[in-house]
Amino acid sequence: MKSVLLIATLIFTFSLSAQTPYEKGMNEAFALWEQQKNTEAVQLFERIASAETDNWLPSYYAGLIEIVSSFGLKDEALLTSKLTRAKGFLDNAASISENNPEILVSYALLNTAYIAFDGQKYGMSLSGENVALYKKAASIAPNNPRVLLSKTEWDMGSAKFFGKSIASYCKDIDQAILLFEKEEQTIPFYPYSGLERAKEISSSCKKETSPN
Amino acid sequence: MKTLLFLLITFFSINLFSQSTVSGKVTDSKGLPIMGASVYLEGTYDGTATSEDGLFSFETDEQGEQTLLVSSISFETYSKSSDITNFKNVTIKLKDDVNTLDAVTVNAGTFNAGDNAKVTALKPLDIVTTAGALGDFVGALQTLPGTSNVAEDGRLFVRGGDAEETQIFVDGMRVFTPYSPSANNIPSRGRLSPFLFKGITFSTGGYSAEYGQALSSVLLLNSISEPQEEKTEISIMTVGLGLGNTQKWKKSSLSLNTSYINLAPYQKLYPDNNEWHKPIESVGGEAVYRYKFNNDGLLKVYGAYSSVNFDLTQEDINVADGIRFGLKNRNLYINSSYQDFLEKDWSIATGVSFANDRSEIKYNDADITDIENSAHLKIAFKKFFSSRYKLNFGAEYFVTNFTENYQDTSFENDYEFDNNLFSSFVEADIFFSKKLATKIGIRGEYSELLQEFNLSPRLSLAYKAGANSQFSLAYGEFFQNPKNDYLKYNSDFTAENTTHYIANYQYVKNKQIFRAEAYYKNYGDLVKYDTPFALPTSTYNSNGSGYAKGLDIFWRDNKSIKNTEYWMSYSYLDTEREYQNYLTSATPEFASKHNASLVVKRWIEDWKSQIGLSYNYASGRNYTDPNKGGFLTEQAKSFNSLNANYAYLISPQKILYLSVSNVLGTKNVNGYQYANQTNTDGVFDRRTITPAADRFFFIGFFWTISDNKDDNQLDNL
Repeated sequence: MKSVLLIATLIFTFSLSAQTPYEKGMNEAFALWEQQKNTEAVQLFERIASAETDNWLPSYYAGLIEIVSSFGLKDEALLTSKLTRAKGFLDNAASISENNPEILVSYALLNTAYIAFDGQKYGMSLSGENVALYKKAASIAPNNPRVLLSKTEWDMGSAKFFGKSIASYCKDIDQAILLFEKEEQTIPFYPYSGLERAKEISSSCKKETSPN
Repeated sequence: MKTLLFLLITFFSINLFSQSTVSGKVTDSKGLPIMGASVYLEGTYDGTATSEDGLFSFETDEQGEQTLLVSSISFETYSKSSDITNFKNVTIKLKDDVNTLDAVTVNAGTFNAGDNAKVTALKPLDIVTTAGALGDFVGALQTLPGTSNVAEDGRLFVRGGDAEETQIFVDGMRVFTPYSPSANNIPSRGRLSPFLFKGITFSTGGYSAEYGQALSSVLLLNSISEPQEEKTEISIMTVGLGLGNTQKWKKSSLSLNTSYINLAPYQKLYPDNNEWHKPIESVGGEAVYRYKFNNDGLLKVYGAYSSVNFDLTQEDINVADGIRFGLKNRNLYINSSYQDFLEKDWSIATGVSFANDRSEIKYNDADITDIENSAHLKIAFKKFFSSRYKLNFGAEYFVTNFTENYQDTSFENDYEFDNNLFSSFVEADIFFSKKLATKIGIRGEYSELLQEFNLSPRLSLAYKAGANSQFSLAYGEFFQNPKNDYLKYNSDFTAENTTHYIANYQYVKNKQIFRAEAYYKNYGDLVKYDTPFALPTSTYNSNGSGYAKGLDIFWRDNKSIKNTEYWMSYSYLDTEREYQNYLTSATPEFASKHNASLVVKRWIEDWKSQIGLSYNYASGRNYTDPNKGGFLTEQAKSFNSLNANYAYLISPQKILYLSVSNVLGTKNVNGYQYANQTNTDGVFDRRTITPAADRFFFIGFFWTISDNKDDNQLDNL
């Protein structure tokens, strides 16, 4: 009886302290990403996605890393290969979680990567698509700070292009910061980040628009 | 305690026994190792990436039947299901992904425009912001090599072919009357508004078996599948007004465009060399309805109505008072298409297009009424056997009914014909590797009018020689029934035909494109007749023949100069024909030996403006001088035109647009007209045919109203 009890306790404590394979995998993938091992991180997220077929997060991150790492590329063949792959990941995430504002924002980021590469070629069709994406995301999640932040960044970009003042957008950034601070972080591995970027933009925004 | 120890040992040993190793090597098709490929068991966390020498090895607790997946960028994903014990020391060869941007494309004869193509000769905005094009997509295409500048006509003349040898298709369906009618010596414009299309494929020869009844060229337009947003667009121009509106619903959308053009005020300000009794007035409306079905199915219905009305007197050397020409035309065009993806990698595309065109023409004292009803029915299937092998086949039926009533003071007659044609085609796209691909097809056509069956084989081959360059070859036979102008008087013809041979070299590197293409075309069974004009009383036969050969060169650079894009085209054409009423084989008057154009666009950030310039050159075209005898032996002077445009973004939604064609006012000559009789000195007098006006000015203000404050009508210009 004693030994049974002992085993039971052992098993119990073991499972308490041990991570599930999901947590272990996700932590490992984030660590790889942090070390700039993008390919390995994408591959691990892809594997986790293949095991966790009802969780959108691993596919979402696999797509996000491909998108972020394609900015600044000079080779169009590589760019389209990476972004096509990224789109596949996002499509998979979107089929698990429909109308997800975080995924919608990532689709807009994907388009932005194409536009940044060649605005003349991709700008006309994709910028309209982006506006529609942000509009949809904002209507689904009006209080999502990342939606507000990316939408405002996009608007600021086009305002700058047309030589208009970006002053009116500073307050939207501040609003996003407020939303970030209020946000309850309950879901593990959910992409809550963005506060620091918002603060950076806010300070540069104020610098640019201040009279002196 | 003993039990515990026993249990622990058992667990441990079970673990030992159940763990297996998956290992092996990943290589490309040549056996060279692939580094960084992802290798894993589907549905598990177990996997790794390959090392520098392509090797991989990982442990797994999985047992029994498993699926091993291997993926790497620019390769096809490999997948194999087997017992886990079989995945030890395996060698996996990944196939090249042939759908990547750096794979070979079968492209001899073809230019792509729009953002749907791998290599775009023209970008979406180019279609409409090319100086001199004046918002007509045909104008932008005329800056590509292979086209001849025929300033007084405005239509597409490709590689020694006349304008009727080019057919236009929207979403795979034929457009029967793509150009607005115009008077002699006044260029006609395309009826289709350019902003309805997102992709354009312009083939100057050797095209797919899916298309027929075009001896020289096909222009394929894809309409927008889904508009991005609801908006209203207002245009105020020196020549008229335009209004557009787009509405979107959950699964469907509707776009409407209307335009009213009246050249009366313009012609008051800048009179040209015609005497206008009724300056050109046109009213047009277009509607596109799109509906998305749950399963990827997409229905598009496009309808367009336009009416054109004008009346003028044009100078003529043989008629002292000039020739009076009046036209009332109305045109209805409906194009509906449906596309869907079916099970097992099949897809279907089907559609119907219909055109009703009625023209009332007044030519001096003659009244002519032409009515043309045409329809095109089509069904096509595609099967994707793999990314390397696709099959496309289908059937089509073309119906044309044409009637003409001719009436003058002394004569009246009716002419009518039915030109119905059944055709079917089958074509395969095969990738042998990432470097070698072919497209091979055959098309059969039966014409009820000519009672004739023709078989046209088509073949293209492309080989990628280096990272940036590729060679392509194409061959094809093309048939086309004689045009309405002859069929209304006679139907005892065989179909006109050509054979194309094309060799192409293309070099694409980082926003630079170089392309050179040589071709040879052999014409047969062209229509001949024995009178100065095609008349009901002429004697007709199909004994004409001809050839065209030449070289087309294209260079586009979007990289070397910041904020500036430019492209250059040069075409060399050597062609002769013996057709129509030609006495001997000669170069037709629409063909010029050398054609060149240069287009430059520069975006000026500080001014929020785009400035565009284009320069067109065409060497002199042939004409007949009866004073010298001979036939089409003389050469007119060359054609030169420098065009400029300027687009200013007042605010993101308001644009001011200015355009001037032939800025320098170069006196161009479209040809000469000789008197029928000699004058008292025994010389045939002549009249120089010049463009109606040397310059054309256009000023427009475009305003977009939508939720999206950045959207504008730049794409309409």
